[in-house]
Amino acid sequence: MINAIRAELVKMRSMPGVWVSFGLAFPLTVLVTIGVLAGAGGFPGHTFYFVETLRQRRELLGAGYFGIEILAPIVGVLCVTGEYRHKTITTTLVLTPVRTRVLLAKVSVTAVWSIFIALLTLVAVAVVALPWNAALGGVTSQVTDQVGAVVPGLLVSAVLLGLFGLGFGTLVKNQVAAILLTIGGTLILEALLVALARAIFHYNLNWLPNAAGAALAGDIARGFGGGGGREGLQLLAWWQGGLVMLLWGLIPLTIGYFTTFRRDVT
Amino acid sequence: MTAGAPIRGLPLEFIGLSKHFGPVLAVDDLSFTVEPGRVTGFLGPNGSGKTTTLRMLLGLVHPSAGTATIGGRNYWELENPSGTVGAVLEATSFHPARRARTHLRMAARAGGHDDARADEVLELVGLTGDAKRKVGGFSMGMRQRLELATALIGDPDVLILDEPSNGLDPQGIAWLRDFMRYLAGEGRTVLVSSHLLAEMAQTIDDAVIVSFGQLKAQGTLEQITSGLTGVVMRARTPEADRLCAVLTEAGIAFRRLTNDEVAMDGVTPEQVGPLLASKQIVLYELTQEGADLESVFLSLTAGLGFGDVAAHA
Repeated sequence: MINAIRAELVKMRSMPGVWVSFGLAFPLTVLVTIGVLAGAGGFPGHTFYFVETLRQRRELLGAGYFGIEILAPIVGVLCVTGEYRHKTITTTLVLTPVRTRVLLAKVSVTAVWSIFIALLTLVAVAVVALPWNAALGGVTSQVTDQVGAVVPGLLVSAVLLGLFGLGFGTLVKNQVAAILLTIGGTLILEALLVALARAIFHYNLNWLPNAAGAALAGDIARGFGGGGGREGLQLLAWWQGGLVMLLWGLIPLTIGYFTTFRRDVT
Repeated sequence: MTAGAPIRGLPLEFIGLSKHFGPVLAVDDLSFTVEPGRVTGFLGPNGSGKTTTLRMLLGLVHPSAGTATIGGRNYWELENPSGTVGAVLEATSFHPARRARTHLRMAARAGGHDDARADEVLELVGLTGDAKRKVGGFSMGMRQRLELATALIGDPDVLILDEPSNGLDPQGIAWLRDFMRYLAGEGRTVLVSSHLLAEMAQTIDDAVIVSFGQLKAQGTLEQITSGLTGVVMRARTPEADRLCAVLTEAGIAFRRLTNDEVAMDGVTPEQVGPLLASKQIVLYELTQEGADLESVFLSLTAGLGFGDVAAHA
């Protein structure tokens, strides 16, 4: 198992798409930081204002969540669909013939890269968001006091979002389709469904991936632009969100394993 | 095998192996054994099930029936797969953005081998100078060498090669031939599928011939070719067209070699001499030759249909 993980780490390190995802984590976090500080004043006339309320402080600390919810699933998708796109699955399975071992190695490596992405977003918060907030007159310690409330949920949600992408990548196999399904599905389709469910059925649709991930991150890591359709949504408790998010990863992964990954490689 | 060299390879056993792809029966109750210390050619026309058979041996394709084992065990049951079996299956299974050395380090780590093996096998296949190049820029021949290097990463006891000469230049083919002989000389098992029959005839000790997924012949090269010794007749005549017409009428398999040369299979001088005399065909030369691998291959895999090919030539 360790050998398979070491091999998967080398593969991920040599995939340009993974590095592009990694590189986007920083600017996306800065983008959300701009949004949080621009909206912190809450009244016309102020371009930027330092964060004051508890919610604002946590949103600033979790500014990387928007990047994580896009990039971690992409890394998961790339990890498995790249094998089919470039036909490297043959070499992979010849070198590691036990397929469950290959898939578990991919789960592990996706988790590692997702955590790297989450950590990079925290670096962006540390070197851009906090100094900027301080320059606007905010107190840095009032933001960093919330590390315990924000960071663990952010890291766990990154891992589960990566697993979510890996699951759909295993199920769909086609790289473009899998990325469209995970990213387009969570950012666009989910927002539509949430709005429709609320408007037509008065139903609180809070168990879809995006909302479940947000619940896990403590409903503090709002996406850029106001939360991707989550406004007014009553989120699950953090542990319920984590459980639902885990299922969103495990169910497609399991179905994908039995329907796609175990198929003949011709 | 070199006299006195220890047997370090493992026998490959295919027992009642079958594979259906929907309604298509790709491999049909195939049974044969490959012995260590020898180079075994796995020969058959396109679509005869060679690649599917090799992929079933490596666990990439699930058999519909039967077993394919390495030393009595399924491939996925081996404790050290890449240290036991090295496989060259297709020269396209590389990530184009990955450097040759990175690809081999990945393979080394997957098998639990030292990273230094990457440079060793690169040197072995003559790609040291290209170690830092991305595989996307490699020629077909270079990819084939890299695929071979991947197969050798664990210094395996068994080598499975599916059309390994594809894309190689003449020097590469000659090198590969010597290399396969060298590996078998060390007591390893070498199973190689190829369409290059002349090349194979110079390389292999044993042959397994398949057609339409079925076993047609198995044995040493001598056993297989001696089975048809004396049945190939070569005629040189200024009336080759008329000769072909006569042979077609008589139901004798033949191949048009040149404008004035025709090879006839499955006939003796006693059969063909009187026939040609009765038709008053002028002959400059009529010789009986021992069957070569190509003759055996063609007669086993295409029946008596050579006349059709000649007629369209």
